[in-house]
Amino acid sequence: MVTFDLWAHTKVFDNVVTMESVFSSVAKNIVESCVNGYNGTIFAYGQTGSGKTFTMLGPSELDNFTDELRGVIPRCFEYLFFLINREVERSGQSKSFLCKCSFIEIYNEQIYDLLDTASASLFLRENIKKGLFVEGAVEKFVNSAAEAYQVLSTGWRNRRVASTSMNRESSRSHAVFTMMLESKESINEVVNIRMSQLNLVDLAGSERQKDTNTEGSRLKEASSINRSLMCLGQVIMALVDVSNGKNRHICYRESKLTFLLRDSLGGNAKTYIIANVHPGSKCFGETLSTLQFAQRAKLIKNKAVINEDTQGNVR
Amino acid sequence: MASVSSDEWRAICDKFTNAQNLTVVESLNDPDNDPFRSKYKARELLREIYCSLKSFEAGEGEEESGGETGESGESGESGEQLPVEAPVDGQTEEAFSQGFCGDSPAGLRAAKLGAVEYYLGVNHVDTEELSAGQEHLMNSMKLLGRCRVSSENVSLFIHARNQLGILWAGRDETETAQGFLETAESIYQRYMKEDGSPPTDMADYFSTEENQLTHQERTKRFELAYTHTMYYLAQVYKNLGETERAAIYCHSTLQRQLKLNQFSPMEWALNAATLSQYYITKGRYMEGRHCLSAATVISGLAGEVPSEAAAQESETESERREQLRQKRAEIARCWIKYCLNILQDSKKLLEDSIGELDTDRQEEMKRGRRLEEEEEEKERKSAMLFGSEDTFDSIASLEEKVRCLLPMDFTEARAIFLVGQHYVTQAKDYFQMDGYVTDHIEILQDHSSLFRSLAFYEEDLDRRCKMHKRRVDMMEPVCMELNSKYYLMIRRQMMFELAETYNEMMDLKLTLANRQDETESLDSHTIKKFNNLCSASAKYFQMFLDSLCSPEGKQPEHLEEEVLRPALVARFRVARLYSRLICTSPPGQVENLDKSLEHYKYVVDYCDSHPEAVATVETELELSREMVGLLPLKINRIKAKIHANN
Repeated sequence: MVTFDLWAHTKVFDNVVTMESVFSSVAKNIVESCVNGYNGTIFAYGQTGSGKTFTMLGPSELDNFTDELRGVIPRCFEYLFFLINREVERSGQSKSFLCKCSFIEIYNEQIYDLLDTASASLFLRENIKKGLFVEGAVEKFVNSAAEAYQVLSTGWRNRRVASTSMNRESSRSHAVFTMMLESKESINEVVNIRMSQLNLVDLAGSERQKDTNTEGSRLKEASSINRSLMCLGQVIMALVDVSNGKNRHICYRESKLTFLLRDSLGGNAKTYIIANVHPGSKCFGETLSTLQFAQRAKLIKNKAVINEDTQGNVR
Repeated sequence: MASVSSDEWRAICDKFTNAQNLTVVESLNDPDNDPFRSKYKARELLREIYCSLKSFEAGEGEEESGGETGESGESGESGEQLPVEAPVDGQTEEAFSQGFCGDSPAGLRAAKLGAVEYYLGVNHVDTEELSAGQEHLMNSMKLLGRCRVSSENVSLFIHARNQLGILWAGRDETETAQGFLETAESIYQRYMKEDGSPPTDMADYFSTEENQLTHQERTKRFELAYTHTMYYLAQVYKNLGETERAAIYCHSTLQRQLKLNQFSPMEWALNAATLSQYYITKGRYMEGRHCLSAATVISGLAGEVPSEAAAQESETESERREQLRQKRAEIARCWIKYCLNILQDSKKLLEDSIGELDTDRQEEMKRGRRLEEEEEEKERKSAMLFGSEDTFDSIASLEEKVRCLLPMDFTEARAIFLVGQHYVTQAKDYFQMDGYVTDHIEILQDHSSLFRSLAFYEEDLDRRCKMHKRRVDMMEPVCMELNSKYYLMIRRQMMFELAETYNEMMDLKLTLANRQDETESLDSHTIKKFNNLCSASAKYFQMFLDSLCSPEGKQPEHLEEEVLRPALVARFRVARLYSRLICTSPPGQVENLDKSLEHYKYVVDYCDSHPEAVATVETELELSREMVGLLPLKINRIKAKIHANN
């Protein structure tokens, strides 16, 4: 397992690492920042069977989350509520926290609510005050790590059920668990509100990214039955030079996942990618591409482009 | 094929139909644990066809050549074995000059065998046995190599090379792929020049007399195969980094789709609109305009947008309404960029060193106009134009609504501005603030930039000021409303722009006041106005600087690369604004100058402790150093005056 901190470090873990050490090196710092008002995201990436879910959740069917093998997410919950309680005590009750969770799945560019299996696919919308949100997604209030874990398990079970009943392959879907944290502090009549988000993302198996991977030199084929040449747009898009600073518009919307996590990639957020790889030499190719993906992800940064007038500012 | 009884032949045709059916239709339903079941069945049938064909009486002049598989020798199952040297294709010349006549019995027989080899090749590639697939495809080419290109086999010539192109590109051997595809291209072009009759389609080889395709259908299939060649070449050139060439091939792929009536309107329109963005970033406005006009016209073919009432009635109508509205709004946004870029490009040409209109250049450019117009006429004649018979005129009339030559004066610039503004309204209609904050603001920013570009041509300073006021009016309320946590980046951009706009207005006001009255000092009303604009500008620069602080309000010790220049420029500007505030009370003056000095000092100190920052703000730094030397003297002078007066 290799973890990439988008701020600086890359750490490599071998097969005999404990969950505790993964958690403390990857997630601890992110949870702390989250309590202090930063957004944080942890991704798990790798091919199917490389242990993404194991890393994030722990062994399957583990309802008792005190187990030594429990994954990064349950540990995040524990640590988060430990910090919250400590903050509340320290401030002499002048600080209060509010926690909400949502859990969605992105499959085939459609968004499904894992906490409300009856709902149809949902839309991403933006609001000037609330920022980006999934319209109509269920939000559950939680007061303890146990409650949060309950929400997570329910969603996880629903994900499995959905994948069998609705012909969705869970290895092809991304699951995004979001914890929204709001803290209120009143100091001498001034109320100070801070909001932050912690996103825990289980990405689709990396071997499924092939179809969307633009790095390769494979040609997109055109079937003569199909009236359209599906991917011509992508070819053209690659020709539009983004680096020359000219003003241009690209008609193709970014994927739902990158759109949803825009705030987590660069900007004012802390992000970790856990790249899970398989030790087998059979998976060499896949392992290499997983590492390359993570390497590329390290380069992602939200650029704050300022359109300044370079002319005539010094008069 | 006289030697073959019609019953035998019919059996072969039936087998072929079955194989096609298995490959195209049945295979879609293959179970996950046996994904290639139908393809393997099809493969068996193809092999049987191959054996039957071989066993028929050989044609004349047949010489057995080695390297034919198909009966038993399967390679590829023991893992990939790449040949030491990749085959290179370059057969155009030979293909037209030597070998059997296409319509001789031997030629026909070779073509049929070649076709079976081709289908076997595609079948192996589909089932992920690339080496075997390659071998079959190469056999197909070898068999064809003994025939001259003719209407009987030209389609196969092209199909086989398309497939080999795809195969080699998949192995990262882009140059090899390029060779096969470019040969396909030249075979097509030469065939069309020298013969051009509707060629036999490969399906015709194995269909009985009564099922032969019509001429029209043959032509269509052949043209489609070549369109695919274009499409693959576009990708190959893109992968080789030859963007210019790739763009030409994308362009002609689009053009051919339209001509063959093989496209879905909305998808085609979006692709054309995207291509327009390539052209405008290269400053080629004629092509950009053509793509956009075609995009608009073709998107109209997708039909009327269902009404809101209809959308509430049914799921499909609602989906359709959403799709059509969104995509048309996207095309409108591409138009906005066209107008914006053409204005900005001409501004760059016409401005002097301080960003004002240089009238001498303007005269000169206008004199060069006639040449340009002739040039444009010439280019238009040689350009690849879109359109089918029914759309050609609508595209042309849409093009006439906006110029593609750089505007040279206010009247011309205004015409372009108005077109841009029209598309702003259209785009905002879909991308509303509630639901599409980011998109909506991007459109606002473009609108503001359109005003800013137009203001450059406006000679009446008062009216120019009003244009900037419009920018402030559309930006300010939004900027104040935005949640700074989620929209940090956009807010920074908006604050910076607002600060600059106020700064611009302040300069204009001062120029106006000085013009009115060279001798007298400014009246109190003007001073108040000037100071308000000055403070507003400083306020927004300061807001921008505050946005860089940590949640606890601490200044960053180290500025991130992407905000380095903006942050230092903002400091420098704030410093200048404070020193320009008009203040009649000496203590007030001292206070302003102290603040000014503090900001100049920051720029100097930061660059001293971070040498890597120096290059980004050379001019500003030089002036800051100067001011850090001068300002204390000025402050002391005023202080001394205050002292003397007390």
